[in-house]
Amino acid sequence: MKETPITRRTILAGATLIPLTAIRRAEAQTPTPLAPAMNPAMNMEQRKILDAFIDRIIPKDELGPGAVECGVGDYIDRCLADYLAAEKPLFLDGLANLDVFALRTQGVAFASLTADKQDAVLMAIDNSQAPNLRGFFNRARRLTLEGMFGDPVYGGNKNFAGWDLIRYPGAKLAVGPEDQSMKSAPKPFRKELYGAGGMGEKHAGENNGH
Amino acid sequence: MPAAWVRNTLVKTMATNLKPVDVVVVGLGAAAGVAVLPLTRAGIKVTALEAGSWMQPGDFKADEIHNNVRRRVTTGTKVWDEIPTFRTGPDQRARQGAAPTMMNAVGGTSIHYYANSWRFHPWDFKVRSETVLRYGASAIPKGSTVEDWPLTYDDLEPFYDTIEYEIGVSGKAGNLQGKIDHKGNVFEGARRREYPMPPLRDTDFTEMMQAAARKTGFNPHRSPAAINSQPRNGRSACAYHGYCDTGGCHIKAKNSTAVTTIPAAQKTGNLTIVERAHVTRILTDDNGKATGALYVRDGREYFQPAKVVLLASYTYENVRMMLLSKSKAFPNGLANNHGQVGKHYIGHWANREVTGLFPVDLNIWYGANAQGVVVNNWAEDNFDHNGLGFIGGASLTVNHEVHPIAASAMPTFGRAPQWGSKWKKFVSQNAGRWLGVYAQCNSLPYENTWLDLDPEVKDKLGDPVCRITSGPKVNEPRASAYAAKKAEEWFRAAGAIEVITVPNTEGPNLSTHATGGTRMGPKAESSVVDPYGFAHESPNLGILGGSTLVTHGARNPTLTIQALSWRTAEHLVKNWKSIAG
Repeated sequence: MKETPITRRTILAGATLIPLTAIRRAEAQTPTPLAPAMNPAMNMEQRKILDAFIDRIIPKDELGPGAVECGVGDYIDRCLADYLAAEKPLFLDGLANLDVFALRTQGVAFASLTADKQDAVLMAIDNSQAPNLRGFFNRARRLTLEGMFGDPVYGGNKNFAGWDLIRYPGAKLAVGPEDQSMKSAPKPFRKELYGAGGMGEKHAGENNGH
Repeated sequence: MPAAWVRNTLVKTMATNLKPVDVVVVGLGAAAGVAVLPLTRAGIKVTALEAGSWMQPGDFKADEIHNNVRRRVTTGTKVWDEIPTFRTGPDQRARQGAAPTMMNAVGGTSIHYYANSWRFHPWDFKVRSETVLRYGASAIPKGSTVEDWPLTYDDLEPFYDTIEYEIGVSGKAGNLQGKIDHKGNVFEGARRREYPMPPLRDTDFTEMMQAAARKTGFNPHRSPAAINSQPRNGRSACAYHGYCDTGGCHIKAKNSTAVTTIPAAQKTGNLTIVERAHVTRILTDDNGKATGALYVRDGREYFQPAKVVLLASYTYENVRMMLLSKSKAFPNGLANNHGQVGKHYIGHWANREVTGLFPVDLNIWYGANAQGVVVNNWAEDNFDHNGLGFIGGASLTVNHEVHPIAASAMPTFGRAPQWGSKWKKFVSQNAGRWLGVYAQCNSLPYENTWLDLDPEVKDKLGDPVCRITSGPKVNEPRASAYAAKKAEEWFRAAGAIEVITVPNTEGPNLSTHATGGTRMGPKAESSVVDPYGFAHESPNLGILGGSTLVTHGARNPTLTIQALSWRTAEHLVKNWKSIAG
């Protein structure tokens, strides 16, 4: 995100060159997470590596869908396309390095490995055998959790499967004493937060004053 | 060319000079948000310059990504441009933090804070003298610049009481005019009357943790909260929906200044609020008297002259503004001819060191962070420190309000790996069965810890950001480790099947409870403001906010900041002629 450098002088020069408001407005603009990213942050090759990675972090199994089925790949792509744009190059480097490491240790690109071999690669990273991938691994795992357990409006947690998995009862606007009891589990509440009867437009008011 | 010269020249040639007012306030948040009420009630005309704007209930979301991951509850980008840098020693290059601790909006941090609203303990005001008296001078931690406050708990008590009633705090008195009630905090200083509202909702979890604490011999009580536990002043009671932390309240049940004292001050007709005003300098005349504030709004520069200036932003920003505001009278920064601005800064030593895993669902998803249980037996001087090698201690808090992403990022207690099917099975069982104890330590100022301007990192206007230098400490980690042992006992008594402790040895980087930096004291040689909050070197400049605190209690600081702010405002009203001159 290159920004026009602005100095005190340009503002105080009074000028018409770059009004401060315009700059602020540009900064405040955030594409709504409801819309799919117009331009995916990752190409197909990169996305394949990511999907293979998140599938091993939270696999589909007898407990239910995994990260891939829950849209975590979309969540991460949208983050890199807008909110985390500044982090995108580093993250994409990480994906490439993961592939390089898989090729070096297993002889095959990460996404083409069997699940067991993929696990072996991740285990090696987790055991500090690839220091250059430690930071990427932690960050990618963290983003996987965000996508899996964040509000579905951001692209992940499809059908609230992440919340069902950990028995998070759901985001609602008022909670009675019965839902704060340890004697009985709170009744799951599974409605779109930003839909009808929810909290209104995602970005309503976010730019107020700007 | 000295910056001050540039600024003054610009005022004459470029900035629009506005009509003078009685008082100009810089930053309308938790601190000035209460101070404007006694001022405007007394008929004083106040103009408040706020970098953010008003937020409405519809701006606040039950959304962890919005609130806690992206930290979107603010109306300005200014906070993101002004994140301080941090280093642990003078030879290091400081690095900028990842997220701001400041907030731009009318109501400031009181919009998104937890609203834990504590009075500091009487001991906090007399740490030096009480320590010397009980343990001898050698017990004062090496390198600490700690002094007694220039006022006592009893001096501040009437103002604590005023704030608790003006904004509305829910809680239970533990010491009502000397009468001890074990349902409240038995260690607190005497209060003149009961809280205006009872504590927030008791739950199976809060009852379980109180019972466990009692079984261990501790004195638990419910957190005091600036949140309505019942309808009050036309606003509703808390809905316990679980998105209070770092979020605002969608039904105005959290008593931020934006829904309490600021609207009350507006009703007097004497408060003008200028939103989106980015204050760049406080100007002074050749005698060191503050003349007003220079600010940029929508690309234009204005000068707001005033008889009195109240600087009331976050600690890092208060100090930065002082250091940036150089002038002929103050070549090293405003009211800094004794070199005290930025000194005696305290980053609050507070963390969740002790984590426990329970065999049952705790169901603490919903509710408010301030819907908690607190143990104060191991804070302040509430226990004998002879032979322990530290002074002070920590309050221990457990609370409701756990969000799903944070819950899933749980430690696995050696029972599962961090990813894969085994992990998935583990979190599916346990994401709702663990929690940490929030240990907040009494924290002191040190010679090796201060604030100044960063030599490299600048904001969008080209002004340097605040730099934190925070050297190693011995006292606070020891106090924290001692309290952690007690927290472990508490968790075991509550039935935890696993308890792990990660010692808090480093302390904070950027602190959400940043205090000191323009501390109050009796003289200019060792403090910046006088006992009423006015600068020793510039008597018509008042400073409000955490930066005036002398020590940090083992608890959240906002109520103390607000009590001091009210006191400063009341002092100004009573001494208007001599201060405004």
